[in-house]
Amino acid sequence: MKWFNVLAARLRALVRRDEVLNDIDEEMRAHIEMETEANRALGMTADEARLSAAKSFGNVGSMRDLAYEVKGGGFMETFWQDVRYSARMLIKHPGFALIAVFTITLGIGANTAIFSIVNAVLLRPFPYQQPEQLVMVGESTGGGGRNSVSYPNFVDWQHQNNVFDAVSVMRSNENYNLTGAGEPERLQGRLVSAGFFSLLGIKPLLGRDFLPEDDRAGAAPSVILSHAFWSRKFGNDASVVGRQITLNNQAYTVVGVAPADFQFGLDADVSVPIGLSAQRFSARGADPGVGVVARLKPNVSLQQAETETNLIYARLEQQYPESNTGRRATLTPLHEFFTGDVRQPLLILLGSVGLVLLIACANVANLLLVRASTRKREMSVRVALGASRGRVIRQLLTESLMLATIGAVLGTLLALWGMKFIAHQLPDGIPRLNEANVDLRVLVFTVGVSLVTGLLFGLAPALQASRLNLTDALKEGDRGSSGGKQRVRSVLVVGEVALTLTLLVGAGLLIQSFRRVLQVDPGFQPQNLLTMQISANNPDGHQVVGFFNQLQENVRGLPGVKAVAISNGLPLGVVNRPVFFIEGQPRPEKGKEPGGIRYTVSPDYFQTMGIELVKGRTFTTHDTPITPLTVVIDEALAQHFGNEDPIGKRLSQSSSRTPSYEIIGVVRHVEQDNLDGSAIRTPQFYLNFNQIPAERWPGSVRRVNLLTRTDVEPASLAATIRDQIARLNKDQAVFNVRTMDQIVSQSLASRRFSMLLLSAFAIVALALASIGIYGMLSYAVAQRTREIGLRMTLGAQAGTVLRLVIGQGMKLALAGVALGLVASLALTRTMKNLLFGVSATDPTTFVGIALLLSLVALLACWIPARRATKVDPIIALRYE
Amino acid sequence: MPKTFRHGTHTMTNAKADLLQGTLDMLILKALSLGPLHGYGIIQRIRRMSDEMLTVEQGALYPALYRIELKGWVSAKWGENETGRKAKFYKLTRAGQKQLRVEEESWDRLALVVAKMRAAT
Repeated sequence: MKWFNVLAARLRALVRRDEVLNDIDEEMRAHIEMETEANRALGMTADEARLSAAKSFGNVGSMRDLAYEVKGGGFMETFWQDVRYSARMLIKHPGFALIAVFTITLGIGANTAIFSIVNAVLLRPFPYQQPEQLVMVGESTGGGGRNSVSYPNFVDWQHQNNVFDAVSVMRSNENYNLTGAGEPERLQGRLVSAGFFSLLGIKPLLGRDFLPEDDRAGAAPSVILSHAFWSRKFGNDASVVGRQITLNNQAYTVVGVAPADFQFGLDADVSVPIGLSAQRFSARGADPGVGVVARLKPNVSLQQAETETNLIYARLEQQYPESNTGRRATLTPLHEFFTGDVRQPLLILLGSVGLVLLIACANVANLLLVRASTRKREMSVRVALGASRGRVIRQLLTESLMLATIGAVLGTLLALWGMKFIAHQLPDGIPRLNEANVDLRVLVFTVGVSLVTGLLFGLAPALQASRLNLTDALKEGDRGSSGGKQRVRSVLVVGEVALTLTLLVGAGLLIQSFRRVLQVDPGFQPQNLLTMQISANNPDGHQVVGFFNQLQENVRGLPGVKAVAISNGLPLGVVNRPVFFIEGQPRPEKGKEPGGIRYTVSPDYFQTMGIELVKGRTFTTHDTPITPLTVVIDEALAQHFGNEDPIGKRLSQSSSRTPSYEIIGVVRHVEQDNLDGSAIRTPQFYLNFNQIPAERWPGSVRRVNLLTRTDVEPASLAATIRDQIARLNKDQAVFNVRTMDQIVSQSLASRRFSMLLLSAFAIVALALASIGIYGMLSYAVAQRTREIGLRMTLGAQAGTVLRLVIGQGMKLALAGVALGLVASLALTRTMKNLLFGVSATDPTTFVGIALLLSLVALLACWIPARRATKVDPIIALRYE
Repeated sequence: MPKTFRHGTHTMTNAKADLLQGTLDMLILKALSLGPLHGYGIIQRIRRMSDEMLTVEQGALYPALYRIELKGWVSAKWGENETGRKAKFYKLTRAGQKQLRVEEESWDRLALVVAKMRAAT
């Protein structure tokens, strides 16, 4: 039979049911009428003729049904019949239906939400032309690691290589002060090379990409606007191309507008050719460096490209030994570059949420099994009336698939809501998270998951139910549970408990890690500290210095302010990372120089930040541009002096040409990158703002943090301080106003996110497993009412009965716990990288969680056990 | 040969039902091999072809006819009969002609075997 004909017929029978039936009726009626006419021709009376015709045709009704079934009506009719029947059954048992649907909704909803995030962040290809050809280039020195690229190096190999179709600089997080267009505003900027947009395969919405002649020192300044900025500031006015805007007191011509959905790395309001500020990046030592994105030529592999590029780096090393010794290129696929950090946590969450779904399935399967035994008689009647085994299974599977479908629909709604909530909890900078949505792939996933779910929890009960012994089942109502069914339920409970334990252990380890992280001493006091950023892009250095001095003085005088300082570089923020040398010590090998972190601060910085002085002194107002240059170092740097006292020794940075500084003090080390412990403590040193001559400010200081220590709620002073700034300079943009507590909290966002989500999953799992144990045991007690009654009549004490029932439940729970411990040992290893200060097999966590789960299980057993002791022997015995 | 075909009775074993159904299929195809017909006409022709020895329960024709139609052996079209009555006409397709040959051959073989067996006793 041609499948297509069959399918078409079935669809027709379903959609055009009346038409198909009419067709059959008409054909049969025509047949009978023709026979009647023939009979009349043979001489019968009209009545005789009709009767005879009807008789020889046979039973019209049953033939019509049979014919309709052949025409495809049967399959869909049965399906509808099953669906209607299932719906009736669910409505008749609302308690069961509610619990089952709720459980599945939770399972499918959580899975859909997490999968849609995984889909957006990890699975969906980047929206660039052939994104698999795109790589990010970095530089590494002998010590390994990945740094930004030195711009002069980039310029050299930009044209020398044969492996890239195109390369471009990409440096985000640049500041531009927009003036002359309403309120002064600080814009996020991005430095790029000519051809940046075409490299990615992005066509500007308006205007054009940067040309090579835009991208050189001395070119007429040009800018490409982001879509968001363009609509916000220019109201989608297409005539903006060719107009000029003022950025950092310089006129830039708008040459293009990026398309609405364009995104690359951090958001940027404006893109500017890097060539304009080539001077700033002219030092070959990679400070400040640039990011580089490149497109591989077709048929060039990542390894080939890296090898080729490093041939160029070998030449550069010979040419510029001073800066390039040991410097090599490292290539990372774009996708890995942007998602490498979030990949593992997300996959672990996806796995965990899958376990939750399994537990939910086990629970619903258990419910169905219990229900199947109460429906035994119903099934027997159906079988006795001629339903085949397959028919019974089909009916029961329709029921469970219906539950799964309802769960899927509600779950998708839950996911849509939950995703907003989850996205809210997520740290900034997770790429493309904002694109997370229920798209086609997510829908396919959800439908697939629900089908599998429905089959998973429906199949065992359906098989069980269909395998009944007809005569036994019809004779007895629901006495005597079959041993097999009990065994399946026991296995399900053990499995549920084991999975729950695994989730709880995972969550427990993350919670432990989080606690340890919170206990980390950051080296400064984040409480009551307000930070804000001010850009210092003013060509007149004296004005800038005057402004900041006046500002600090004014703010210091405000009520509630204890101390004020300015700094360039902030813990958990952006800092400079130059190499440093200690005078009098042997010069380290080229490429092996120790790297440090440099902060430039005003004298009150240490007091404001709450950084403890260990030795010597910090800066005072007596240190000025004309007094000897001084530097304060941290404990980590002090260790480079061994047992010698660093005070009075001299330090220089980057190259031998720069001046050296006298070490005047040692302060505590502060945590720079995050609070969860790079075990490596990068040496830190502090220079004094007051020793930078005003003329050098415009070249060296671009962005300044204003730090205010308060004895009131720090956020409450933000407006007052902004006001002070505006009074001094109405064109001064202020941005990133945050309390230090907020900064600390944001640095923990990713960790908090994983912890909260996994804990939520674990709690759901715990609840489901408890319900599972409770439900199974309640049912078992109900089944054994007679037996328990008999035992009590024969003199069993309540305690004995209690032990009996609890023993039955706890045997399973403990088996589950044991199994779960083994599984956890294997699984928690995958999350080693997410942990801090606690091992993946932390005994305290394992034992604690096992105890907790056993306790909850005990409680779940206790309630039905108590009920068992309340059994009245007389009633129990009369039960039959 | 049985005098009457009953079709669609559940008490029959599947093998037997298949055999009978196959026979009916062949009879329908054979009837249509002489030209397009409506259902009533098919019954009449089968009766005539078998010298009135074989009578099909008339209603049972239709499920069999529809099954054959789904298999693509016949095609159906509404038309008018000789007295102007609206009726559905069935026509043998090429696939149907092929199927008829196959079935006739297998029946011939069976008939041969039966004949030999009868000759042997």
